[in-house]
Amino acid sequence: MYDKHTFFGSVWRHGIILVLIVFAVFPVLWVVSGSFNATNNIQMQKLIPPHATLEHYKSLFTTPQYPFGIWLWNSLKIALITSLLTVVLAGLGAYAFSRFRFKGRRVGLLGLLLIQMFPQVLAMVAIFLLVLALGDIFPWAGLNTHTGLVLVYLGGAMGFNTWLMKGYFDTIPRSLEESAKVDGATPFQAFTKIILPLARPILATIFVLTFISTYSEVILATILLRSSDTFTLPVGMALLISDQYGRRWGMFAAGSILAMIPFLVIFLLSQRSLVSGLTRGAVKE
Amino acid sequence: MGPPDGRPLYPYMIWRYVAKHTAKIILLGTLVGASIYVSVFLLTKGMYIPAVMPLIGSGFISYIFLSQKRYPLRWLVPGVIFLTVMVVYPIGYTFVSSFTNVGTGHMLSKEQTIRQLLDRCYVPDAAVVYSYVAFANDDGNLALLLESESATILYVDGNAEELSLPDARLIDEDGDGEIDRYEDYARLSFMQLAQRVSEIEDFRIEYGGTTISLVNLHEFRTRSPLYAYDEEAETMTDQQTGVAYTAVDGIFTSESGEEIYPGYKVWTGLSNYLDLLRNPAVSRPFGKVFLWTIVFATLTLLLNFALGLATAVLLNDPFLRFRTLYRVLMIIPYALPAFVTILIWRGLLNTGFGTINQVLVSLFGAGARVPWLSNPWLAKLSVLLVNLWLGYPYMMIISLGALQSIPSTLYEAARVDGASWWQRFSRITLPLLLIPLGPLLVGSFAFNFNNFTLIWLLTEGRPPMLGTLTPAGETDILISYTYRLAFEGQRGNQLGLAAAVAVVIFIIIATISAINFRMTGALEELSKNV
Amino acid sequence: MKRVVISLLGLMLFAGLTATASEAGKLLIWADDSRAPILVEVAKDFTAVYGVEAIVQEVSFGDIKSQLATAGPAGEGPDILLGPHDWLGELILNGLLEPIVLTPAQVEEFDPVAVDAFSWGNLLYGVPYATENVALIRNTDLVPEVPATFEELLTIAKGLTDLEAGKYGFLIQQPDPYHTFALYSAGGGYIFGEDEDGVLNPCDIGLDNEGSIAGATILDQMVKDGIEIAGAGYGEVVGAFSAGNLAMMIGGPWTLADVKAGGINYAVSAIPPIGGNAPGVFVGVQGFMVSAFSENKVLANLLIKDFLISSDVMLGLYIQGDRPPAYLPALGFLAGNPDIQGFAAAAATAIPMPKIPEMTSVWNAWSDALELIVNQEQDPTTAMQDAANEIRALLGCD
Repeated sequence: MYDKHTFFGSVWRHGIILVLIVFAVFPVLWVVSGSFNATNNIQMQKLIPPHATLEHYKSLFTTPQYPFGIWLWNSLKIALITSLLTVVLAGLGAYAFSRFRFKGRRVGLLGLLLIQMFPQVLAMVAIFLLVLALGDIFPWAGLNTHTGLVLVYLGGAMGFNTWLMKGYFDTIPRSLEESAKVDGATPFQAFTKIILPLARPILATIFVLTFISTYSEVILATILLRSSDTFTLPVGMALLISDQYGRRWGMFAAGSILAMIPFLVIFLLSQRSLVSGLTRGAVKE
Repeated sequence: MGPPDGRPLYPYMIWRYVAKHTAKIILLGTLVGASIYVSVFLLTKGMYIPAVMPLIGSGFISYIFLSQKRYPLRWLVPGVIFLTVMVVYPIGYTFVSSFTNVGTGHMLSKEQTIRQLLDRCYVPDAAVVYSYVAFANDDGNLALLLESESATILYVDGNAEELSLPDARLIDEDGDGEIDRYEDYARLSFMQLAQRVSEIEDFRIEYGGTTISLVNLHEFRTRSPLYAYDEEAETMTDQQTGVAYTAVDGIFTSESGEEIYPGYKVWTGLSNYLDLLRNPAVSRPFGKVFLWTIVFATLTLLLNFALGLATAVLLNDPFLRFRTLYRVLMIIPYALPAFVTILIWRGLLNTGFGTINQVLVSLFGAGARVPWLSNPWLAKLSVLLVNLWLGYPYMMIISLGALQSIPSTLYEAARVDGASWWQRFSRITLPLLLIPLGPLLVGSFAFNFNNFTLIWLLTEGRPPMLGTLTPAGETDILISYTYRLAFEGQRGNQLGLAAAVAVVIFIIIATISAINFRMTGALEELSKNV
Repeated sequence: MKRVVISLLGLMLFAGLTATASEAGKLLIWADDSRAPILVEVAKDFTAVYGVEAIVQEVSFGDIKSQLATAGPAGEGPDILLGPHDWLGELILNGLLEPIVLTPAQVEEFDPVAVDAFSWGNLLYGVPYATENVALIRNTDLVPEVPATFEELLTIAKGLTDLEAGKYGFLIQQPDPYHTFALYSAGGGYIFGEDEDGVLNPCDIGLDNEGSIAGATILDQMVKDGIEIAGAGYGEVVGAFSAGNLAMMIGGPWTLADVKAGGINYAVSAIPPIGGNAPGVFVGVQGFMVSAFSENKVLANLLIKDFLISSDVMLGLYIQGDRPPAYLPALGFLAGNPDIQGFAAAAATAIPMPKIPEMTSVWNAWSDALELIVNQEQDPTTAMQDAANEIRALLGCD
């Protein structure tokens, strides 16, 4: 799709990108500045804070009330597990929708889409009671457990993820699986051995998307997690600015910057899978 | 497929079937067993209807895994289980709530309300105060010895018995004048008492026509229940004043209109929906709010997708140097939680103190102060701008993913035919992208239609609409406005009303989306030919 | 099929999830982060004496009220919670609070306004521990003497305002009815009128009476004179003051922590008379409440009465939160403290914030009016009239 760049072509490309990067990054510069600012104020700042301090970063790890390190670990753990399981669940579903024709396929696809559109604001009460009851039966999966939270997040595993993957699977020619079938493979083997390796870009995409949305999720986590040591990062951070008139913007800003780093790392690592591309040479067209 | 040496067909086939599927049958058996366990558990808690659900569920799953015809459904089972429990159930809960009056003053169930009201006491004139001693036996059962000026009562196993001292069962072991044992019950130490006082506070001791209960750590007192409940007539009668309160719409009301709180939730049928339709606070600004919601969702979609796709195309270019670094930088808006960044933007756009205006003022003088969030049109623009900043990374990621699915052979063929870059983009890339992305774009439209968080954190719907006599704001979308009415309306939270709002909004957005899906559904057929 | 499932699930809802017993024998306290540290100490003392575990759970201020409504009846709520008195209306209507019984002698140890704030229908629903109200806080380096009248204050402010240099004379955070109330009350404005028994009448709304409109006009004039700046919220006002860029502000005790951190020399005093009348301010009272769904009511009452009602604890809470204690013996210790005196002076004509649930509609409509005035989108008279009429419409008055 792409031609080699002329010199002028390089210049304007890099130029546009730099403009876009300024747009993307400059609000975050304010967060960085606030994280070094001694007064607890996020508005009314110059970019370089007059009294720069590392105090906020230090407090994050030394205040027992705000165990930032634990929150970070909790969030990472939950986001990783949820993302992996989501990729699995969505992938299984997407494969079925893509490859099989069965009764209820069209309705199912449409239904998946429409269900996501229901405003879930009142769902908080329902889910709270649900997880409460779940905890009665399986104490390790009730309120204030990470298992319970992950199970709730997996409710959203199918849905748009399935659609995205299905669209991608659709573009992989069936001839590959058909030749596998001739060799005696079950559909499941065809799925795991042929399709999944070819689908690495979309698997990486879903993984990254699920990771960030789980990592930043705050509403459900606030309702289901009840003690300081089980909090995820967003819940803990919300606590920092929850007091009506005593918001700790400094620590909040510092926490935000630190929170950003794991996601950037995950995104970076996923880049190789993202562009591995399809090899079409497996079957003679 | 017959047996190799001529044995009878059927048993052999069953044997083969069982051997081949042993693992599956064991797992299914475990599943059915577990669901029976859960069902029984729910039955013991008195939840008869929910007890049926695990059985239905496991039955359905077993059918799917045993029937060859339903093979494709097996792939869907895990995801759909989670979907049903975590998404469909709350939708059902919301739907059912919309037909009740649940909200401030009506949060409890009828049993809870009655229980609370019956627990209320007043101190009758002839109140007697009892000091007490508590004992426990090896099984942990409690016995209490109550003493007042006139009587001594022994309370064990729910029975109150008047004693005349001295009683042989009360033993003073060390002769210090304090009873240490009652039969085989030993006196509780101070700390043991404190740990069990919460059980003791639940006791209601019936004695001599009065009820005695614990008032603090050291005393029991006769207390009379404030209300008497007549189940048939559904009335609570105040024992002190004699006034009767009848249950009306979930609140006990007297003839003169006095109400006892708390009330409880009751079915109200369609009244929440009718309320919405007839409430002038809803109907008057509805047109404007609805129009802005549609415009907002549509423009957001177009802007975000345009920028996201453009960025993805730029950064997908294998000839571009530093593209990985650029990608990581461009994803930064997405890496921070939305509630952090929206608040930052709110600060940046502040009229008097925000950085953007300060920069403008330093460049162009004091008159350059722009009312980003207080002028109706600029506020709408600001909302779109912030949403663009928040949302283009998502579009970039999914575009990057989808771009990989376009076979390079198509581009090579087009290049051979002499197509220009723009022709390749518009004739190959764009149409082939819209196939996987089409439904996601519809989904993004729906997401922004309901994007409560953004509006709430950035503007709270403000600036206010002039002259409407309703709390509607110029940047309010349907969901932010109606939820505000439900949660900050007359009397606190009206959850039933909010549920009705959710249902109505869902109907609107589902209809719009189903129509849109028809349009993109047509594109789906194309993929079969690729 | 979907309909069947939904109705089955609906029946599931109505079959009712029985409440699990909350931990009998263990006390759970919900507090937000500013009070939690003191309470942890108190909890330890309690456990040492009674051998009963007491846990302090930190919950966001905004979440305590909303989570109590769901968690309480479900048996997952706290035994004791901390909160402001204006939550009382909604919590009691939902049957979430248990009355607390104090002896008359104990009641006398508290500020009567505070006790009144936590009473509802002759019963006490909370033990107050702090009262808070706003006052005039000024930078004594910039404004050495208290302005004698409000008009004088505005003149001084105008002289000290220099937008180019980022210096401000006087700011009231907006849109904030709570902080602006002084302007309204001085002229006779009020929110809900009281009938003879002192019961609030939600349909007697005074936000568009003469006094209110006069107050709104003062604000409007402040904007026109360049004193009040659009976009000045809490962060901006306190930030500017703590940085020495703002000479005077209307603020409460919660601002002092940041002000001190900024090293500013400040003084707290009553708001000067406006138009010759002393302005009234709202008093908010913070207190301990017991959940109606607590399994440990006796223990909860014990903790509150025997451990929390003590000068040490009350002073500790003061040190943590800067809010003047409602417990008179503790307040007595602080008699010489100029900040406390300043806030008390401002509160001489204080009114407790109304605690009926109808207040939310009021705050919203009033905030909207203030927003329009400050942004010069509407004149003060129309803005207040629209607000008052909107409230009347929402509350169903005729």
